Amino acid sequence: MRFKLGFLGFLGLLCLLVTPASAQSNLTYNVRTGVTGNVTLLTDFPEVVAGEKINITVQVDPLDSVEIDGLDYVFADRAVADIDQFGDSIYSYTDESEVTWTVWRSHKPIKNRNLRVLVGNAQQTFENYLITNTTPAGRGTGWIWWLFAAILLAAVLAYGGFQIYQRRAEKKLSSVEQEILRRKRMGKRRHYASQAYLWLLLIVLYAPIALIAVFSFTKSKILGNWTGFSMELYANLFTGKADAGLNSAIWYTVVIALIAAVCSTILGTLAAIGIYNMRARARKAVSLLNSVPMINPDIITGISLFLLFVALGMSQGLATVCIAHVVFCTPYVVLSVLPRLSRMNPNTYEAALDLGATPAQALRMVMIPELWPGMLSGFILALTLSVDDFGVTFFTKGSGGLETLSTFIYSDARKGGLTPELRPLFTIILLVMLVALIIINIRNNKQEEK
Amino acid sequence: MSKLVQIVSSRRTWAWPYVLFLGLFVVLPLILVGVYAFTDIDGNFTLRNFAKFFTHSEAIQTFFYSVMIAVFNTVLCLLIGYPAAYIMAQEDFKTPKVMAMLFILPMWINFLLRTVATVELFNMFGLPLGEGALLFGLCYDYLPFMIYPIYNTLQKMDNSLVEAAQDLGASRWQSFWKVIVPLSMPGVYSGIVMVFMPTVSTFAIAELLTHNNIKLFGSLIQDYITTTDLLNYGAVLSLVLLIIIGLTSFFGDHDDKGEGGLV
Repeated sequence: MRFKLGFLGFLGLLCLLVTPASAQSNLTYNVRTGVTGNVTLLTDFPEVVAGEKINITVQVDPLDSVEIDGLDYVFADRAVADIDQFGDSIYSYTDESEVTWTVWRSHKPIKNRNLRVLVGNAQQTFENYLITNTTPAGRGTGWIWWLFAAILLAAVLAYGGFQIYQRRAEKKLSSVEQEILRRKRMGKRRHYASQAYLWLLLIVLYAPIALIAVFSFTKSKILGNWTGFSMELYANLFTGKADAGLNSAIWYTVVIALIAAVCSTILGTLAAIGIYNMRARARKAVSLLNSVPMINPDIITGISLFLLFVALGMSQGLATVCIAHVVFCTPYVVLSVLPRLSRMNPNTYEAALDLGATPAQALRMVMIPELWPGMLSGFILALTLSVDDFGVTFFTKGSGGLETLSTFIYSDARKGGLTPELRPLFTIILLVMLVALIIINIRNNKQEEK
Repeated sequence: MSKLVQIVSSRRTWAWPYVLFLGLFVVLPLILVGVYAFTDIDGNFTLRNFAKFFTHSEAIQTFFYSVMIAVFNTVLCLLIGYPAAYIMAQEDFKTPKVMAMLFILPMWINFLLRTVATVELFNMFGLPLGEGALLFGLCYDYLPFMIYPIYNTLQKMDNSLVEAAQDLGASRWQSFWKVIVPLSMPGVYSGIVMVFMPTVSTFAIAELLTHNNIKLFGSLIQDYITTTDLLNYGAVLSLVLLIIIGLTSFFGDHDDKGEGGLV
């Protein structure tokens, strides 16, 4: 017995001696190009509480400049930290010598997990890297499956029982009556099946959104970890206590959307009037040109504009993002103003000129009041397109630290977490949209009744 | 002076600023993609970028893989979306009109946030992230783009044609395949284009849904184009994507005006 204890103690000591040493151990890696280098773990073994965030820093060294096809460049490859049994890999592209990952999610208690660092194709495991003795709040999620299965089983049994009961009652009827009932039942069944299909789709479609909405009412940093009801995130959002990056992203998103929507509405309305009055061939050509930004996927629009700004030597920032947004918003404004034009009496403008109005006056007092609904819907469309855009913004925002909500979420998610205040923000957006939708629907119904 | 007044008051000229704008910020950039693809870093003409693409097995593989994923996703969206659009458009199913709106509403939530939430959902149920998650996420993101155009064409369809077919003795199944499906083809075409094009060029969704284990063509382009010295090679990859997009939109030309169907 004593011998055993002594042996264990010896092992423990050995571990203490060995573990910190292995934290410094080197890993040779082969990136796609076949360069070899070392990866050193800089952070000591941290003690973490599940759900809290820790930083792990890895030094990638040396990052040789490599010559491929006569081109000289520092090769950037991805480095991945995979924390064993966390279920999470945190990845990061790097062209820097140091990579830091932030780990702040784990739904399970972490005990002596291993850290695996992958760089290029090579990997290195650091054993017993994360040590914690606290259990995170919240239960496991296995019960959800059982709940599903139970509900499904109950539904099937209830339906089956109901059918058997009905058939028994029907047996007394004549065959014609039975046939009529059968047809009715088929129609009903088709109806219920189709409705069930739609609702099932909607449930799947809304499940992730519902997840965000539900977890906006708890202050846990992790999406999916319920730590009790709290309105703190909403309070943070409105009092500016949220992450500084998020605040500036919201600000930039609003500013860019407004600038882009105003510019594209003005440009697009003038263009629509011009296009409407063109000769057929010119009109066709401009309309075709107008549809190009709509057909182009955002990555192409983004890259081509990025190349333009590089070629022109423009520094990228707010101005370039605004220009880019005007590019993909204006075609939609043109398309929403054109139908109003064809509905309008084409001679009113000339009449105004004949009566002594200048073109500007005629535009302001005759054209705009007529085109207003089209301009407004174009404006709103431009706003939503601009707020929702990711691809184009990503390529034109430059490296000056300008972030819109989309790009902010993207860089956030790549770091392996999501700023908690985003949850209430998007819950509010969803609610506003839902209310707007209901109002529009009611108004449409009323118009139909008239 | 009077000539100037004449030019301004002729409304035809009001489109000139926009045409100029389009030329500078749409046509010129697209031409630049081609220019960059055919030049090296110093601006000299070269075909080496193209030669590199055809010998770069990773790029070729990623390209075909992305096209495959996009085709698969489009088919999946069609298979799931068509019945939904059909059910909503059919009058005898008595689906509330709000239903169609409910299918579009998620599109107003930022797609990246939805994707992140999908990842969390997968984590919550203990499902692994990978190809399955990628397909689920893509289908989830682009399904409304498939449902809406089909729903629109089906709703505008003259129902008396179906009734006529049934009067002439066609079964439910026959009238569906011989009347409804052919009439809804414009919507299907535009749905296919609207799903396929963004899927084949997507770059952020795949990264998030697979923890960067699966790389799609869009991500590859992004990698190269943002690396200063490899910009020209990135331009070649973009050109390849542009060709695919061009072919797809040519295919979508069958549809007279499905564009802006989401408005």
